[in-house]
Formats: sequence, C-alpha cells, structure tokens
Amino acid sequence: MSDIRNSTPGGEDYEPQISATGTDAVGLAAGGSADPLPGEDKSYSQGQLVARRFFRHKAALTSMIVLGLIIVVAFTSIGTGPIPGWWPKDYTLQYDKIGDGAPTWAYPFGQDTGGKDYFALVMRGTQFSLIIAFSVGIISTIVGTLVGALAGFYRGWVESVLMRLTDVFIVIPLLVVAAVLGKTAAGWGIWGLALVLGLITWTGLARLVRGEVLSLRERDFVVAARAVGTSSWRIITRHVLPNSVGVIIVSATLAIAGAILLETALSYLGFGVQAPDTSLGTLIDEYQSAFATRPWLFWWPGLMILTIALCVNFIGDGLRDAFDPRQNRTKD
Amino acid sequence: MTTLDISSPGSVAAAGDAVLSFEGLSVTFKTEFGEVHAVKGIDLEVRPGEVVALVGESGSGKSVTSMTALGLLPSNARVSGTIRVGDKVVGGLDGRGLRNMRGNDVAMVFQEPMTALNPVLTIGDQLTEGLQLHGIAFGKQATARAAELLAMVGIPEPERRLKQYPHELSGGQRQRVVIAMAIACDPKVIIADEPTTALDVTVQADILDLLRSLKDKLDTGILLITHNMGVVADMADRVAVMLKGDLVETGTADQVLNHPRHEYTKRLLAAVPHLGSGPGQFGDVAPVVAAPEDLPALDLGNLVIEYRRLGKPTFRAVDDVSLSVAQGEIVGLVGESGSGKSTIAKCALGLIPAASGSVSILGNDFTRTRGKELKALRRRIGVVFQDPASSLNPRLPIGDVIAEPLVVHKEGDDKSRRRRVLELLDAVELPRSVYNRYPHELSGGQRQRVSIARALTLDPELLVADEPTSALDVSVQANVLKMFTALQERYKFACLFVSHDLAVIDLLAHRVVVLQNGKIVEQGPREEVLHHPREEYTQRLIAAAPVPEPLEQRRRREARHALLAKLGEDVAELRVEEDYERPRPRQDEGGNSSGLGGLLGAGGDGSS
Amino acid sequence: MLKFILRRIGVSALVLLGASMLMFFLTINSGDPLKDLNESNSPNRENLIEQRRALLRLDDSPWERYWDWLRGVGGCFTGNCDLGVNINGVDVLGLTQQAASSTLRLVTLATLLAIVVGVALGILTAIRQYSGFDYTVTFSAFLFFSLPVFWAATLLKEYAAIQYNNWMAVGQYAPWTIVIAATVAAFLLQAVLGGTRKRRLITAATVFAFVTVTLFVFNALDWWREPMFGAGGVLLVSAAAGVLVTALVAGLRNRRALYAALTTAVVGVIAYFALAPLLLAPSWPLLIGLFVVTLVVSVAIGAAWGGYARKQAMLVAGITGTITSLMVVADILISHWASFLSIKSRPISTIGSQTPNFTGEFWERTLDMGTQILLPTILLTLVSVASYSRYTRSSMLETMNQDYVRTARSKGLSEREVIVKHAFRNALIPITTIVAFDFAGLIGGAIITEQVFGWKGMGALFQDGLNAVDPAPVMAFFLVTGVAAVLMNLVADLAYAALDPRIRR
Repeated sequence: MSDIRNSTPGGEDYEPQISATGTDAVGLAAGGSADPLPGEDKSYSQGQLVARRFFRHKAALTSMIVLGLIIVVAFTSIGTGPIPGWWPKDYTLQYDKIGDGAPTWAYPFGQDTGGKDYFALVMRGTQFSLIIAFSVGIISTIVGTLVGALAGFYRGWVESVLMRLTDVFIVIPLLVVAAVLGKTAAGWGIWGLALVLGLITWTGLARLVRGEVLSLRERDFVVAARAVGTSSWRIITRHVLPNSVGVIIVSATLAIAGAILLETALSYLGFGVQAPDTSLGTLIDEYQSAFATRPWLFWWPGLMILTIALCVNFIGDGLRDAFDPRQNRTKD
Repeated sequence: MTTLDISSPGSVAAAGDAVLSFEGLSVTFKTEFGEVHAVKGIDLEVRPGEVVALVGESGSGKSVTSMTALGLLPSNARVSGTIRVGDKVVGGLDGRGLRNMRGNDVAMVFQEPMTALNPVLTIGDQLTEGLQLHGIAFGKQATARAAELLAMVGIPEPERRLKQYPHELSGGQRQRVVIAMAIACDPKVIIADEPTTALDVTVQADILDLLRSLKDKLDTGILLITHNMGVVADMADRVAVMLKGDLVETGTADQVLNHPRHEYTKRLLAAVPHLGSGPGQFGDVAPVVAAPEDLPALDLGNLVIEYRRLGKPTFRAVDDVSLSVAQGEIVGLVGESGSGKSTIAKCALGLIPAASGSVSILGNDFTRTRGKELKALRRRIGVVFQDPASSLNPRLPIGDVIAEPLVVHKEGDDKSRRRRVLELLDAVELPRSVYNRYPHELSGGQRQRVSIARALTLDPELLVADEPTSALDVSVQANVLKMFTALQERYKFACLFVSHDLAVIDLLAHRVVVLQNGKIVEQGPREEVLHHPREEYTQRLIAAAPVPEPLEQRRRREARHALLAKLGEDVAELRVEEDYERPRPRQDEGGNSSGLGGLLGAGGDGSS
Repeated sequence: MLKFILRRIGVSALVLLGASMLMFFLTINSGDPLKDLNESNSPNRENLIEQRRALLRLDDSPWERYWDWLRGVGGCFTGNCDLGVNINGVDVLGLTQQAASSTLRLVTLATLLAIVVGVALGILTAIRQYSGFDYTVTFSAFLFFSLPVFWAATLLKEYAAIQYNNWMAVGQYAPWTIVIAATVAAFLLQAVLGGTRKRRLITAATVFAFVTVTLFVFNALDWWREPMFGAGGVLLVSAAAGVLVTALVAGLRNRRALYAALTTAVVGVIAYFALAPLLLAPSWPLLIGLFVVTLVVSVAIGAAWGGYARKQAMLVAGITGTITSLMVVADILISHWASFLSIKSRPISTIGSQTPNFTGEFWERTLDMGTQILLPTILLTLVSVASYSRYTRSSMLETMNQDYVRTARSKGLSEREVIVKHAFRNALIPITTIVAFDFAGLIGGAIITEQVFGWKGMGALFQDGLNAVDPAPVMAFFLVTGVAAVLMNLVADLAYAALDPRIRR
C-alpha cells in the first residue's frame, strides 16, 4: 500500500530540456545522418554535476568548513592517542582557579569546579562524540545498504524475512533498544557503544535503499543486464548500488547527525559513554546543575553538539539537493 | 443528434476575427546553464471554427508558445510580444483578469489524461468547479450541466461517471473528460497540446473525431500542438511548422504537407513512415534466407503468462500465443496497450516465467534451461528497449556500457573488447569520441544507437526490440530505422520487433502478428496482414492509423466511418441536443465550490 | 481492504512477538539484578537476595519467564491482564495504566499541536519558496532537529519558567521589550503575507503599531496579572476567525458560507451568556457534551444557510463553531488567571505533572494542569514541528509540480483554490504516513523529556526498570509503544485509503 506514490509528471516540454549537448532537432537541421557530437567544451560527468550543485548550496558549504574546523581542532588541540597536541593544558590536571573559573584568555572555555581546563575537556568530549558518530554512521550505512539492497533485489522470501526483521527493530523505539544495548555494551568502551548503536540504527536506510532498488530493478538498463545473463552480484554492485549512491550518502550523513544526538541522549540517561571515557553528553549531564552558578560549563558542550549536528544536517540537505535537483523526497 | 446553427450568441466573433493571435511572441527562460531562447518572435493566429496545427519536434518551443496564451509559464520565463485571446491582451491582464480568461475564453487539453486529472477528486468535482467558478451553474444545476457535458463527449452513464475517480476510467474516457472540462465554459479557443499522443491509435481516431465535431458544431477555434503528421493531416485547416523557436513555414494543410517549401518541412515529412507504402522507405529489408528446415530463432508454443496479484484473481496477460521467428526474419508484433506485446518480449528474453507453453531459442527450451547453459543461451539474444533515458546505466561511460556483455561472458581481453566497441560504434554511426562519454551527455537518438550497439555486442542470432523508436522524434526515428535495416542486412539477426506503430512495422517486418488482449488476432506475411487484413480488429487498427497526406487521410477517415457504420458503431462526435443552451455566466450568485470542501472528500455539488 | 488490514494485523502481531522476545532477553541480560544487594552490607543481605531471586524468578529458565509473561499479556484479550510485578513487588499493570495516561496526554497534545503548526508552516514555506520567510523557517527547523533535547529543556526551564515567573511577579513589559517584540512580529507577518515592497511595508508598519499599542495598553491595565477578555473579545475573535475560515475554505465570494460562519459566531456568544452559570463550575463530561452540542448546532446553521454550497457552509460553520467554543473556554480561563495566581504565585512549573496539594476550583485546576504541561509540550512540539514542516514543504513542492495542478490553473482557479483543493489534498497523503510513524517513536523519545521535567510517565517506568534489570516494567513500556506503533500504522493505512481513492477497495 505504501508503494503507491504520486506518479511523476510526464511529457513536460514547456520547460525546455537543457542537456549539456543540445537537442535532437539540431541533428536534423544539420542534415547529417548522425546526431550531433557532444560539445567538447561543456561536458560534465555525473559527479561533477553533483559537486557543482553542492557547492552552490551556501549553507552546506559553510557547514562543511565549520565541521572541518571543529574536527581539526578537536583532534589536534589535545592530541590523539600517543600524538601530543598543541594545546598546553591537560584535561586530567587540576589548575589553580582564576576567580570562579569563568572563561579567560588562559582558559577560553573556563574551568570546571575542580579547576580543570574546560577547553581540553570539551575537546576530549568532542573527539569521543565525533568518533562514535562517524563509526555509527559508517556501520549503519553498511548494514542498511546491505539489507535494503538484498531485500529489494531478490524479493520473495529474502525480502519478507529482512523487512520483517527491520520491522522488529522499528517497533522498539530507537532510544529504548539503544538504552538496553548501551547498558550492556557500556563495559566495552566507546567502540563497543559505537558498534552497538550502528547495529540498530540502519533500519531507516534499509527501507530507503530497498525502495530505491525496487524502482531501479525495473529500469531498462537493469532488465537489459539481466537479459544478457549478468550475475545478480554484478548487477547489484555495478548497476544498482552506484545508482543509489545519492540516497545512501544522504542517509549516511543524516545517520551521523542522528548518532551524535542519540549518543548524547544515552549518555545523559546514563546508558551511554561511561567514565573514564567522556563525551559531550556526559559533560552536560555532569554539569547541568551548574547552570545557575557556572553557566559556561553548561553552554560549551551543548553548543558544540548543536553546531556539529546542525552542520551535518545542512551538509545532508546540500547533498540531497545536489543528488536530486527535483528534491522529491519519498519516504517509504 | 443535430447540427445546430448557433452563431447567434454574441460571444462568437465574426469570421475573420482571430480568437487567438500571437504577434512577435518571444520567450526566454533563465536556467542554471544561462538563458535559453525558447520562442524567437513568432506570429500566428487562430480563427473561429478553425484548426491550426503547430508542428515541431521536442524542444522546438511549440508547447511554450501555447502556454503563453494562458499565462501559465513558470516564473523563470520572460515573455514579450502581444498575445490576444478574443479581444483581451494577455500581457495586460492582472491576476484576476487572467483567471477570468482561463477556462472562459481559452481552455486547454493536455497530453497525459491520467496526470492531467486530479487523482483524489471525483470527475464531477473537477467538472463542476469550473462551472461554478465562472458563474455558469451552481449546485444541482452544475451537476446536471456536468452530466450533460459528459454525455456530449460521448461518455455513457454520465451520472454514474460523475461520482467516479479518474483511475476508474480508461485512457480514452479520461481524455474525453478533459475535453468536457475544456468545453465546459464554452471557450472561444481550445489549445490541445498533443491530445492523442498518450493514447492508442483507435482511441486517438475517436478523440480526433470528437475534436473535429467540436469545431464544426460549436465554432470553437483549436490550436493543435502535435508532432504527428498523420494527426495534422487528419485535423488541420492550417499548419505552422516550428523549428528551434522559429516558425519556418505556415500555410494550409495541403500547402504544407503536399508542397512544402522549407527544407526542414521537407525533411520532416520525408522522415514520417507511411503506412501502406511498404518497405523501402528507409532502406531495403533483406529477404529471409533461412531454409524451412532450419531451427526457428524463436519459437513460442501455446504460451500463457499470468500475473498473480495480491487479493485479486490472477491476470492472464498472454493467452495461448504461438508464433515463431525464423532465422534472419523480422517479425512485427503489433497491438494496443494492454495487448501483452511487451510481456511476450520479456518472456522471450527469459525475464518472466511462462505459466504454461514453451519458449525455445534455436531449439533450446528456455523454460527448462538452468545455470551455465542458460547463460550461454542468453548470449544469443540481444535486447533494445523503448526508453532511451532509462536503458543505459547513467554511471557507466558508453564504452563500458557496450563492452559490458563481453565482460559478463568473459570474452576477450581489454584490447579486443575495445576494438569490438569501436567497431560497433562505427556500425551504429556514432563518433568514436563518445567512448568516454556518459549517457546523460547524449541525445535520445544517440542513446538509442548505443542501446542497439550493446544489443549487438555478442553478435546475437535473435534481437528483441521493444518499441525501440517510439520515444524518439520522427526525424531521429527515421535515422535509427535506416540504420537498423542496414544493420540487419549486415548481421542477419532474427528480430522480434514490438511496436504500436503500424507504419514502422510496415516498413521493416517480414511477417506481422497482431495481438489483442493477450491473444493473437491475426498473423501472416506483412503484405497480407497490413494491406489485406482479414480480421475485423486488424481492419480497425489500420483504418484508425492516420497518414500524413490530407486528401488520402480524408478518404481513409471516411472509409473508417463506413467501416464503423458497417460494424454498427457510432462515430465519436459531440452530441449537441436541440435545446442546448450556450452557457452564459450568471452574476447573481457569486461564489465557487472549492477549498476544503473538496479536501474532506465532500463534493461541492450539494447534491447529497 | 478488510482482508488487507487483517493481513497487516497478523504480520504486525508476529513482528511484535519477535520484538518482545528480543526486548525480554536483552533486558534480563543487560546487567545483574542483584548488584545493589550484593554490594550492600545490611545484616539481612542473604535474606533480601533470596527474596528477590524468588520475586524475579531468577532460578527459572529465561524461556519459562518469557512464556509466563506472554501468557499474562495474552490474558488481556480475555479481560484478566497480568503484566507481572516489579522488583518491589508492585503490580505493573496499575503502574503502566497511570504512566501511560500521563505520557499519552503529553504526547498526544504535542503531536496535535505539531501537526497543525508544522503542516501550516510547511505549506507557507512551500508557497513562499526561497523567500526570507522560507529560509528562516528552514533554518529554525534544522536548528530544532539538531538540538539536544535535555540541553534545550534546561534552557527552557531557565528562560520560559524561572525568568518568566520572576517577571510575572511584576507583570510589566519594559519598553524595549515591547519594541523588540513588535519588530519581530512585524517582520514575520510581512514575510508570510508577502506582496509588493509597498504592501510589505504597510503590513509591517500596521503590525508594529498594533503590537506596540496593545502591549502598552496591557501594561497600563496590569493585564498580565489580571487579564480579561470578555464576551466582546470572544465575539470579535470568533467572527474574525469565521471570516478567515471562509476565505480559506470557500472563498469570501461565497456569501452563504460567510453568513453561516458569522451566524455561528454570534449564536456561540449568545449561548455563552445563556450558559454562564453552568460554566462556572463544570465537569469534563459537561464540557464535552456542550462541545458536541455546539458542533451539531453550527453544522445545522451551515446547512440552513447552505443552499447550493451546503457542504462547504456546513464545514465552515463547524470549524467556526469549534473555534468559538475554544474562545469561550479561553475567556473563562483568562478570567480565572488572577485567582490562579493568588493560589500559585509562580505559575509555570518545571517539575512534575501536577502541583502537589493544589487546592482550587475546576478552572484553577485546569490552569494548573495547563501550566504544568506547558514546557514539556513546547519541547516535544518544537522537534516534531521541525520535521513535519520539512516533510509538508517537500511534499507540497512535489505536488505543485504535478500536471493536475497545471490543469486546475488552466481552468482559472485562484492560487488559494489550487493550493487548498488540488495540491494540499494530494500532499497530505504521504504526510499522513509520516505522522503516524512518528507518533510511536515520539513516545519513546519522550523518555528524555519526561526525565528532564520529572514527569512520572512511561519514561520513568522504563528507566527505573532498566536500571534495576527488572524486566516487567521494561516489557510493559515496550508493550505500550509497540501496540501504539501497530495501531498508528493501521490508522495510517486507513487514512491513506480515505485520502487516496486509488487504493480504496
């Protein structure tokens, strides 16, 4: 029932069809038996067209730059693993407090109640949050794409089983299953949490990919490939998935944004990142009572989450526009 | 049914006064690739009771021209010049004036009747809203008037139809509803934008009859936009030919179609396949060389194909079809939409299973082959589909597209594959430079050539072509057909050529199979089936196909009407009753019946 | 259709079964239910552990426990539900009923508000695509998407409750606040209404002047602490709403609909006077009964005026009647504000779903419930509004491109008719599905909101259960959300069929 969509308009030629090369009528006018050659000067590959449209999306471009800056600063400032960073202060050490710990030049994000440098703490939380978000995005994209592509391509019992499985995960609210699993996985560190979250957030993408594959498998070029005897694996990898890349990339982006918020929410509820690890969510949880007395302890991690999620969402929007200029979002 | 003299009401202009005129019309669009000059200063007029055909291929600007008359172009369009509808100048009207004019003075019939009607509103709702909007009738009167309109365009049981939704009607009936909507407020001129392109040929003939009686009986002017020269010959009093935004030739139908002066018109006419003139128009077709004892390239025996549908009885798409294609033979498979012709093609490709019966390719039964053998069998069949937009993988460059079958069957190395691709590109008359291009950079005709090249990559013995040229403009179609016959002569493949266009079949096929509702009606040599049909259905099909010559077409039309009369059927025409009153807006009760009333499923007719 | 629905229910039941199994085993394996007791050093530790082992049946196999839970749930069909007991031995069924009612109240209200606001915003942004208004709404929508809920909740508590309550003690707007508010209102309204530059300027100036004057007058009257609205106000607003509804639904040229709307407003106000004594201390059944009567009367008024446009007139009158009755309730509530303030001096609450030990009459109690539910509702609504407005916008843009919209325009219909009658109804079809899907998710998402605002609902049930590795309350939570999800999917299917004749069979 949900497969019924509004049909796309056909035969609209009152808006001229702009192709990079021109129209068929030109060939006739030129009198040649062959159609015109493609103009050498303005030839765009699909990828270039997408990039061109993406870079015209100002908000997405700005978000890209801001997010890039955040990532660079988060990972270089306090260093990653064994690599030291350029920020002189350590997040583990307690320094002498200047006044009540409000932001100063020496401590741009202020100090916490014990005198720790809050900038270093927030950067560390940002690192963890980013790692989790991106891992979740990657894992859920892989699982979702796989499930969706298999279900959409093979139909029959494969589809029934996979889609019912998807339904099972959808019926349980995401936050709930994440909380239950997060609590179990809490002992495995942030990678465990990332893995677990990735393994439960793929459902939306699986449905989208399935819808896309369902429509792609009826397209003539896929039918032609089947007629020639192409193996199913080759059809999926060479004909179907490359053409669903738009849907996949956009969803992956949005999954990252969702993962950041989900992780912070879980950590806030106490089912997410556990000490000694930290994340932006745990920081807020830890310092939310300080709102009245030391508002900066509350503001910085929240603004950080907000900025990252906002940037990722805008990038996703830009990608959607770029991949699909008619902006027909269909949700299955 | 009577023809009435209804020239008395003042709304009809005196003869000679144009009801629609364009003077120096120019339209430019701002697009992301810069400005596009779609219409470049054209002059054209339509007089009452006259059909002016605006002819051109896609992108010629003919539809843009028509939309300016309603002021309905998208906001990125800039229009200059003067457009007059009756005594109104379109450019000088404000929003209210424009809306008043639309429907009242000028109405539109669109190409695709399914999408032109709102799927969630009843026919009655959509008919009455125009009547109430322009103050012609309200409430029960409007409903009655709507039923009357449906009866006029020849829809049986109009009262019941009013309560139905568009999807419950057939394509032809939907187009009749669209026409009823257009004549609801008795406009001075109707713009028909490819009104029959989406319809089957017999339905097309009916709709054209209806439109013709419309201008005769109501004296409405019609601007007919079409790419189909047969339709032009059938309908037009005068013809205007458009090329890339310019009018290159205007004149009476006889002048333009029989004595074209402009080069483009001549070429365009030469490119139209002519039903009845047989093969040879675009190059000769080689005679079949296969000896009778040779295995047929394709043999279908008592084929039945069924679709199982959830919660509904199984649908039998193909019912007991037996046909065979000899080696080197082209068999034309003809039928209207829903006849099962594409289903048969798909089954011949082994893409859908047969419910019963046999499908054998060169003696190998498709339904019993599995695994490796099946794959080996598949390489002996090539396929070309209808839609050039979707038949090529947009992510692969042309070279890869054509080489793909070789890769799949693990034939040759990179070098030999490349050689084969270049050879094929030459064969389909494409420049070798397209090797690294992507499909979206090619025009429709070029893409279809690539499709054909891909189908021939493995040198198949059988080619299945499913409407390979019907999405193309006539001139492009002519080139592709020419090339196709040349290729067939060279590679000697057998071909199952599926088409709805009898003229195309007429110039290619050795034998013809006519299908209706999944059953074979008639099959035999082309000459016999197309020129001396025995079955009534084939006769109808052939009688309904228009030819691009006005006098001949008139003769054919009369012959068709005679045939219909013999079969005891009515010719489609506008039924104007004796007491038919031309609608006149009533000013006493302003108001209209739309808005949320319709939204919540309530008809605005107040009848329930 | 019936067959289809039965099939859907069957499949959903299977899915629910699978999901419940998953939930159950995940929950009992998520930790050690005896952890707190093992770590305690109370003298009767062993005893307590033994008690809990027996209560949670830790010695039985998990399958047995799951099976028994399932049997208990199965009992709901025969009228004797058994959802088990929680870790303290309390019957979970009772807990769940309490929690579900308070959560559903919250979520339903938020969803209804979000649908109205979100869909309206979506349509407006689609009509004014690429305008300043569109960009503002789009940006806000993305902002709300990206907001960590608990963080925003803390901000809301601080600025919408604590600071507001502080302000309420005085109840006067500072002049610069008034100027800023008026400027914002002026900007927004001109952006929504659009038009030529001159028209926009006039709109902005009018709105600015109106808001400024009104706020100063209110200041002078101490309106914020002792507000009043009055029957005149009710009449004025209802009549204006009637005109607006007519303009939207039927067009102002449809006099019959307009007169029906105005008549309804007048009759409504007269009825207000007549029923005033009854309304002083009513009960919920009385109010609901009165509302039904109002609806019937207004539709009858519509039918009487209707003539050729009867259906539309009835619809217009019905909507106007609803608005009028809402205005009447609003008027009564406003007139009770002062007495409410005297009972509860800090009106907006940040914690809980009811003020403990609140003593007041019916209307004061209603006000109390309203002020308690205000903040969590705002929070839940904001996020949903963001997504609904985006979906509506893209759905509208999609339908506005369709051929039948062009056909409608070619008939000469006005933009309003094209949008309301032709485009919107089609755009509504995909939106329905999304809203239905979202509703179940929203119950799950409400966990955080409830936690932040100390709202004793499903969230607390779940969280406490999970923390204690206590399956019964967790499974009860799952049962409610799962059944809600299945029901809402069913509603979506039905709505789909109602909206789209193509699949009505």
